[in-house]
Formats: sequence, structure tokens, C-alpha cells
Amino acid sequence: MRSEQEANRVIGQYAGLVRRICLMHLKNRADSEDVFQTVFLKYVLSTAAFKSEEHEKAWFIRVTVNACKDLLGSFFRTHTVPLDELVDLPAEAPPDTREVLDAVLSLPEKYRDAVYLHYIEGYTAPEIGEILHKNVNTVYTLLTRSKKLLREKLGGDGDG
Amino acid sequence: MGERLREAFAAVEAEEELKDRTQAYLFRKTQGYSARKAAGRAGPMRWAVAVACLVLFAGLGAGLFFTPVSAISIDINPSLELNVNCFDRVVSVEGFNEDGRKLAERLQVRFMGYPAALDAVLAEESVQSRLADGEPLSIYVACDDEQRGGAMLDEVRHCAGRGRNIHCQAGSRETEEAAHAAGLSCGKYRAFLELQALDPTVLPEDVQGLTMREIREKIAALSGKGTAWPGCGKGNGRGQGKRHGQGAGCAQEG
Repeated sequence: MRSEQEANRVIGQYAGLVRRICLMHLKNRADSEDVFQTVFLKYVLSTAAFKSEEHEKAWFIRVTVNACKDLLGSFFRTHTVPLDELVDLPAEAPPDTREVLDAVLSLPEKYRDAVYLHYIEGYTAPEIGEILHKNVNTVYTLLTRSKKLLREKLGGDGDG
Repeated sequence: MGERLREAFAAVEAEEELKDRTQAYLFRKTQGYSARKAAGRAGPMRWAVAVACLVLFAGLGAGLFFTPVSAISIDINPSLELNVNCFDRVVSVEGFNEDGRKLAERLQVRFMGYPAALDAVLAEESVQSRLADGEPLSIYVACDDEQRGGAMLDEVRHCAGRGRNIHCQAGSRETEEAAHAAGLSCGKYRAFLELQALDPTVLPEDVQGLTMREIREKIAALSGKGTAWPGCGKGNGRGQGKRHGQGAGCAQEG
């Protein structure tokens, strides 16, 4: 088990990353918080040795995506509708930010991780393929299609 | 568009309250990050469980090792049985008459493979001298597992093939239990049953002190036929043995 200092370090370092991935998949704050805490608990209990900071970051991305999918696929989630089924966007976000986030969140779920990792975290398609355990060509396809959809929603040339 | 996306997502950060709650959650879930110590305290318990399991398995293994699953009854005048476990090892030797008990005490065949143990019995002077005198020797393999019983019979036949006037049979352990209840070895009990079929007044104790030849002679006299062995086509149900004047005759009940 890792120490409290290590836990505090990764919370400081990856809280934003984990929070944004949760936002991409989960529609309410309670679910986001559940996954957020679960991810850091997994880190504390994990004995995985990371070769580098990049490796550690990739671990957090992968674990967060999986935790979100686990929650969405759970029996409870698939058989109930939360009372607060509201997109968990920052309340004070300016209109343009909300528009962009809405556009990303309106993408089919399978596109969102690739979009986030490419545009926001700056990963290349092969790196995304490695992190998400997807074929590189599949990642290219996801990025191309999502770029087209975002261009339709937001306008512009769609280039990264 | 990439820039717009980056700016939009930059607005999404983990709130300080969320971080605080997460730190508190981790502290609570890890019992103040002391789970390792707790695991250390649980160590002796884990060792105790491991040792208990080891003892249990050792006990079960020992139980299995010392439990006979078959018996080889050897009757000439020394009348004794080799009790054999599922690993084909002799776990005990039991004498069923005075000579048999003496021989059982003297023999050191415990934990020996049954073929070697049988060789040792057949090599005994008391057995060899009786065989030399033309006394017939009966070997009966009692085993409930037909396949195992068959394999043992083959092995016994192989050992006995080197002797003369030795007759082998195999059957279920049901015979063994009934024989022991009557105070007889399996081979002698089967001969007794044949004799009793001809003379219902005969009791087990009447044959306890007799040699196999003497019992065979009584059977021959009462039946009016020559000396015959179980499994030699006479009064033996499913026996398929062959009669040999000099060699070993063998039969296996179904």
C-alpha cells in the first residue's frame, strides 16, 4: 500500500485529469465523485511500479475510463435513472465553454476518450491506441469521425 | 477547434472540496494508511491457517495412505493377508492362523510394493517347503475396483508364475469382510463356502486349522470329483480360471 504522501501527490497531479474523464462519461456529480475516489483508492492499494511519469499518467487514464465504464455498466445503473440526471458541467462556465463541452459530450461515447486524449492531453493516435488498448486504425477512424461531427456542431476547420 | 476544446476543458478542474473529501475517504478506507500494519498483525493468523491446512492435508494424505483398498489373501498353511493401499503399498499384514500370525510378525513387507511383498511371502521357507511337498497355494485378490483388481491379478499371476501349484483369483471385498467376520482369510473362506455348499454342517472354525490341501480334499471327497480350484469350472459362478497341474491357475470374478 502506498503512503499518504504519495496519495496526496497524485491527487494534486491527476485530480483534474480524472475529473475531466469522469465528466466525459458520467452525467452527475455523485457518480463522478464515486469514480474519482475509487480511482485514487485503487492507486493507493495498487502495487504497480511505474517506469515514468507518463506511465503513471497513462495508468490513471486507463483506470478512470474503466471505472466509468464499470459504473455505467453496473446492474444498478442499467436499471435505474438517477434523479439528478444532469450534465455535470461547471456552473460558472462561460457560454462558449459550455457550448464546446456540450458538443464533446454529445458525441457518441466511444469517440469521447479519443477526442479528449488527442485534443486536450495531446496524445497521438498510436499512444491513444496503447492507452485504451485499441487498434491504431480504429483510433484514427474515431478521431476523423469525431472531428467531422465537432466541425458540424462548432464550425471551424476542425484541425487540432 | 483544438484550442477551443483545450480552453473549454481547462475550465474543468477538480474542486478543492472534492480533493479534501477524497483524501478523507482514502484515510478512512485505509484505516489511516495502516492497512499494511493490520496485514502484518494478520500475518500470524494467516500462518496459523496455512499450518492448519497443511496439517489437514497431511492428515488426509496419511489417512489415504494407510487406508487399504484391496487385500491379497495367501493361503497354503500359513494363512495371511496383505492389505494394500491405493498406492499399491502394503500397509498391514494379518495372519489368520497360528503359522500365518507368526509369519506376519516375522515378515518385513510393510510399505513395500505388493509384488515385492508377495515375492517375499512366496520365498518364505515355510511356504516353499509346503509347495515343494505339493501343497496347493491359493492367492485371492479382493478389490472393489474391477480395473485395479484386474491389474493386481495380472501382477500376482506374474509373481506366482514362478512358483508351482499356485492358484490365483480376484473378486470383490465383500468376500473379504465376510471372511474376516468368520475368522478366515479370503482364500480359505471361499474354499469354506464351497465345502459348506456340499456339507451345510461345516462351520468356519472347522476349517481354520486345515491346510488348503485338506479343505480341497474334503471338497473332492464330498463332490465325488477330483481336486478342483475355484475358477476352474466348478462351482465358482463367473470364474474363468484355467486349471494347471503344475503352474499357476488364475481367475477373475466379474
